[in-house]
Amino acid sequence: MKTSKYILYFVLCPIALIWASCEPKALNEEDVFVSEESLAQILEKENPEGYDIYNLNDFLDTFMTEEGTYHNDTTPYRERSYDAAHGIYLYSVDTIRTSGRGIYIRGRITTDDYAGNFYKSMVIQQIVGGEQQNLRISVDLGSSHGMYQMGQEILIRCNGLAVGRYANQPQLCVPSYNNNIYAMNASQKVGWCPGRIPSSVFRRNTRMIGTPDVSQLQYDELTLVDLYKQIELKPSANAAGMDKVRKADGRLVIIKDVHFTGKTDDNGTIKDCIYAHPDSSGLANVFAPSTQNIGYPQSRILQDQGSNTICCSNSEYCKFATYYLPGADSTGVTGCQYYEGQVRGILGWYLDKAATLKDNKLDGMEWSVTPRGIPGIGINDILMYYQGDTDYPWIPEEFNPKTYHK
Amino acid sequence: MFVLAISIAALAQTSLKGTVIDQATQIPVVGAKVTLANQNISTTTNSAGEYSLLYLDVLEEELIIEAEGYMSTIELLQLKPDQVNEMEAIELQQDIVTQAQDEILLNLTEEEMSDDEGRSQAQASSSSASTDVFNSTISFAWSTARYRNRGYESNVENYYIEGLNFNSQERGNFNYSAMGGLNDASRYKEVLNPIEATNFTFGGLGQSTNYLMGATRYAQGWKVGVAGTNRNYKARVNATYASGVMSNGWAVIAQLAYRFSPYIDNKGIIGEGIKYYSLGYFLSAEKVWDNARLKLITFGAPTERGQNAAVTQEVYDLTGSIYYNPYWGYQNGQVRNSRIVKSYDPTVIAAYEFKLDEDQKFKVAAGYHYSWYSNSALNFYNAPDPRPDYYRNLPSAMWDGQIANPYNETSGEQLFDDNGKHYPWGLFIGEDMKGNSLGSGFVGHDGNLVGPSINAEQYNNLVDLWKARDNKTTQIDWDNLYAANFANNHNDPMASARYTIERRHNDIQEANATFNYVNTKFDHLKMTLGVEGKFSQGIHYKTIDDLLGGNQWIDIDAFADRDIKELASNSGFTQADIANVRKNEIADDYNNVINTTKQHYGYDYHINMGNLKAWFQNEWSFNEVDLYYALALNYSTMQRTTDMLNGRAWYLTKVAEQTGADAWKYYGNTSYQLVKDREANGTLKAGTRYIGDAHHFLDPAFKLGVIYKVNGRNRLKLNAIAETQAPFARDAYISQRVHDRVIETIYTHDKAKSLKEFYAASEKTVSADLTYEFNYPIVRGRVTGFITQSWDGSELNGYYDDEARTFVNQAMTGIDKRYLGVEAAAAVKMGTYFTLTGALSFGNYYYTSDANSITSAENGMPMTQDQVTKELVFEVQDKVLLKGLKLSTGPQVNASLKLSFFHPKMWFADVTVSYHDWNFLSVAPSRRMQGLYTGVRTDGTAVNGWFGDQYSNAIQTIDNQAVRVSVDEKGNATYENAVLDGNGVPILKYPFSIMTMQENIAATNPLNRFLIDASVGKLLYLPNRQSLSINLSVTNLTNNTHFKTGGYQQARLPRSVRQGEKDYQNSVITANAWKYPSKYYYAWGINFFLSVTYKF
Repeated sequence: MKTSKYILYFVLCPIALIWASCEPKALNEEDVFVSEESLAQILEKENPEGYDIYNLNDFLDTFMTEEGTYHNDTTPYRERSYDAAHGIYLYSVDTIRTSGRGIYIRGRITTDDYAGNFYKSMVIQQIVGGEQQNLRISVDLGSSHGMYQMGQEILIRCNGLAVGRYANQPQLCVPSYNNNIYAMNASQKVGWCPGRIPSSVFRRNTRMIGTPDVSQLQYDELTLVDLYKQIELKPSANAAGMDKVRKADGRLVIIKDVHFTGKTDDNGTIKDCIYAHPDSSGLANVFAPSTQNIGYPQSRILQDQGSNTICCSNSEYCKFATYYLPGADSTGVTGCQYYEGQVRGILGWYLDKAATLKDNKLDGMEWSVTPRGIPGIGINDILMYYQGDTDYPWIPEEFNPKTYHK
Repeated sequence: MFVLAISIAALAQTSLKGTVIDQATQIPVVGAKVTLANQNISTTTNSAGEYSLLYLDVLEEELIIEAEGYMSTIELLQLKPDQVNEMEAIELQQDIVTQAQDEILLNLTEEEMSDDEGRSQAQASSSSASTDVFNSTISFAWSTARYRNRGYESNVENYYIEGLNFNSQERGNFNYSAMGGLNDASRYKEVLNPIEATNFTFGGLGQSTNYLMGATRYAQGWKVGVAGTNRNYKARVNATYASGVMSNGWAVIAQLAYRFSPYIDNKGIIGEGIKYYSLGYFLSAEKVWDNARLKLITFGAPTERGQNAAVTQEVYDLTGSIYYNPYWGYQNGQVRNSRIVKSYDPTVIAAYEFKLDEDQKFKVAAGYHYSWYSNSALNFYNAPDPRPDYYRNLPSAMWDGQIANPYNETSGEQLFDDNGKHYPWGLFIGEDMKGNSLGSGFVGHDGNLVGPSINAEQYNNLVDLWKARDNKTTQIDWDNLYAANFANNHNDPMASARYTIERRHNDIQEANATFNYVNTKFDHLKMTLGVEGKFSQGIHYKTIDDLLGGNQWIDIDAFADRDIKELASNSGFTQADIANVRKNEIADDYNNVINTTKQHYGYDYHINMGNLKAWFQNEWSFNEVDLYYALALNYSTMQRTTDMLNGRAWYLTKVAEQTGADAWKYYGNTSYQLVKDREANGTLKAGTRYIGDAHHFLDPAFKLGVIYKVNGRNRLKLNAIAETQAPFARDAYISQRVHDRVIETIYTHDKAKSLKEFYAASEKTVSADLTYEFNYPIVRGRVTGFITQSWDGSELNGYYDDEARTFVNQAMTGIDKRYLGVEAAAAVKMGTYFTLTGALSFGNYYYTSDANSITSAENGMPMTQDQVTKELVFEVQDKVLLKGLKLSTGPQVNASLKLSFFHPKMWFADVTVSYHDWNFLSVAPSRRMQGLYTGVRTDGTAVNGWFGDQYSNAIQTIDNQAVRVSVDEKGNATYENAVLDGNGVPILKYPFSIMTMQENIAATNPLNRFLIDASVGKLLYLPNRQSLSINLSVTNLTNNTHFKTGGYQQARLPRSVRQGEKDYQNSVITANAWKYPSKYYYAWGINFFLSVTYKF
């Protein structure tokens, strides 16, 4: 019996000792979010040579040059993007030094990609003196908004990264060689350009400050009349004009009192949308019919009660791409004029053709607002009502290929 | 030595009798095989260790005694005529080396088992104790290389415990984790070579093993042991008590064994990121009567263990370690593995043996076994892929779009040479579209010459992070996963968590019974009759292990939610349980919210399986010839039932109804009617059990064999078998998590109007082997040649399809295979202390046909659109060009030389040098689809992105579509200008050839194809029948870390869209062959197992 007891001790003691070392304990919010209070201490430890936190506009002013400084990114592969007369480059990449003082920016994420309009990109917002400052960020991270969610304030260490412009949109990025030789007008596009930051590099360089709070996002609620007073419909084609355009890009806005016109800006030409199959016609009266995989954003024109217009810009890959425009249906677009309301989203200006710089003005319909979703799909950014009556909201309806009639 | 004593008896015949005992304990050895070599007569010892051999010729003889767990011994003797030659007890010495190796093998086999890769199991440990020279030599030595007997899948090996079959009816394999660490439970077994006559079952193509767990086999006393190792678990303690046969006729044995390894915070070692806890118990009681015995047995081993993963060569190179494991990361400073297997297989067995008379005996046995088996995995929804080795996280992701097509697309002219196999020296673009040089590239920190279009700073930055094993880069970033869920809680407390740890349960319960009758009443004839019955239920569902800080998980299919617009607008179809959602729509009651660890979600179905096998065998024995033949008939059935009516099944049913297809296929006839009725009257309820169609099979088998005894020392054996085998349940259903749809050949079988149709789904196999055996005092061994041909096999694969951009299931049928080979072994005694053993297996295992396949999306979305009818196609059909490819069932060329040392003062040692070659990686069927070579599938649908322009100068465009119907007069696909290989498959140009070729994973340097193992042991006899044994076994002595044991080719092909092309052919397969490279497993480097056992 005594022997048995010792045997039991022999087997059971190690079991008892080692079974105790189980899974690590669960994390809580304090473990994964950096508090405002601890931030300075962390950064001091991380940067023995010191650090600077730039506001977003200062960051662009400090590190983004007109020509770009990476390799030969101003070489003439992008003939359309360079306006020699005004010295304006719509594409650029500037690398940011790797060592030395820490270079940081911070901002709150304003975008969400559930609906599909912000694939591998996000926009951060910083409020400086009550005014918005914004910057786009390109990250090689699919469904990035699942990890970096709307309303989350983030701090990014920019050393080793780059700042650049793609189609005149400033963004935090890394240099990348666009080798899409099959693209339309490929010879004008192939070359060095702003590319996506590798995900692990981004995750290492980014800290989340506090928990997300979408109520902290500042929306500039404007009519188109107000908007164009602030940002100019056709800014001057000079350094000051370009600077205004670039710093307005990414702004979070609510465009009030607008309706869809049922028209589209087809490469600078205004055309009527029609009832057509979205897979085969770029004029289909939905948000974003197919571009046959070219991949450019599709625009649908919004108009106020006057003649002011702005594009509603959407990706053909977004979840509501084949949903009818408010008021549109299988009869066409005549109903669009009856649905009025507001469109929220990210203000942008997609300009990849220096040829549109005319008469010392930026020409064309390039100002756009990109919604993060529609009712039922992602963030509800399109609130429209039948003849403005809030009892009759717009209910999205999808194009049905089975009942499609030519 | 023993003393031969002769007693004169008044018998007119010559006979021999005696006992066999354990040298250390003096306890009788049960089941030892006693053979008179010259007369070729053998028997086995009974429970008292006694044997007797009758009607002997008077010769100078060699008495060979072999027993599991003991060293074999040979004694010389001179038989005296017409009397009983009675011998003194023969003492056998324990083979502590093999015992230790058995334990290592059990552990190795257990580790290989996983839910996803159950087929990868290597040659089991069962043969280690075999008395066959070949099997006993190779079972341990070749296990590191994952050698498989004759190249067969593990599901052809038959495993029995006390005559009860324990192969899974779902997968066909045997679950070793049930016996984890219980080396005493698995010590005694009968192992029979393929096809040969058996006495406990009909047998089959593979080896048949019967574990014998009766308590009377174990010597009385205590045994305690400790062991240390640097393998996945680090230490083991165990204790065994055996009562021996007591005065009341009962014998009892009990064993407890505990193996463990906590998480070890150290990178680059064996078992990185793995924890291991296993507590095994074994309890057996046996009652012995004069002519009967009853055995009651139970065992189990609750186990919890972490897993590791195969990764690409790039990852191994970057991390500089073959032990890199992407499944773990730091949480709160501690290691946490996302993949934890939990298993527990409590088993109870009752067996009763009864001797009716001297010539008749029978055995009945019944058992019940419940297997809890589950493994955990990270799941994510609308969030980034959390796997650190996800291809976008690797430096090579930056090569995307930067690899030049080495051939002029119009002329086919090769623009530059093939340089480098794994890394594309010179394959990067070097100039812009206008011919301007982009520079000269750079040597990356990983040593690769990287093209000038790659951002050097970022590339090297990534390489540096990997090489430094940065925690956020190379391991799971638990902090970020928690943060995503916490953020989600703030933004929408009712939303689905972004990340969870889910647990996939694959339980099985089985009840089995067997009846076995042996009759030796007639001279020269032994008749055996057996009936085996078994009912199994596979139980499959998911639960949440950890919400990782999230509030809840919403039970919808992420792929369906993402991909199907029609589903997005009607959320019901994305649901795992449509009945819940219909309720939601009415009552806004979120029954699909998962917020406890108990709720079943995702899928919840059973596969009910049954079989009844009857067989008989006649063994004729004559002086010069032995002959046997056996016949079996096996009835089997399978049926799927589900407690969840999946939304995608519902959706597919609706589609089928609209197109006039067989909508009932997704539920089975009965449940389809039930669903329709309830849908019509609005009484569709959650929790209803839907019962699919049952499928019934009847498979015959016949085998025969003849042994020609040239003389007492030489014999020839010829065996043959023909059988049919119904598909295993795992291969029978196209998407068993979602619906009831079975493979087409089963539908053909179900509606059969001819014998051919009736056996459409069953795999047909014929096999034969011819063996020459020799047995001399100095040398013994055998040479065997074998050939096996099978037809109409079926297999199911799942993978992410880049063309459809979703997860698909691919059911292949009509697979024909051939196994040809020779196996040989010889053991030569070299003086008193040394034995030299050589073993060789040379095989050629390959596919002899192409396969038919049906591929469908798991999320129910259409795979493509028919270019002619414009109808959406949900199941695409095509041929898989398998003919001529090698089977990936371990190395096909194997050889080893083993030098064993044994000193009578109980020192043991051996060293084995093994060589392995012709080890072929499995080819992803998705890369060998005929449509990839012709542009059109066998069902007439077009493939968007194919290899055509790699071997043909022209891409034909018909009506603005690149749908090329390239068929000859007989309707067979043709490949125009392609150069074909011996099997009629176009030879692709480098680097496209890399995407479809079959890789021999044997190390490039022949020296690295060798593995060396060694062991040394000492048995110390202590006073009072006590003993202490110490054994050290070292595997891979030379620390060869270049030895790949397996892996797989990734199913994804690198595609990109050619922007701006408006025809249908807008997707191309890019030249970046390195985008989705193969993944590999490596053999561990040097590792050891040190055990100390004390018996008293």
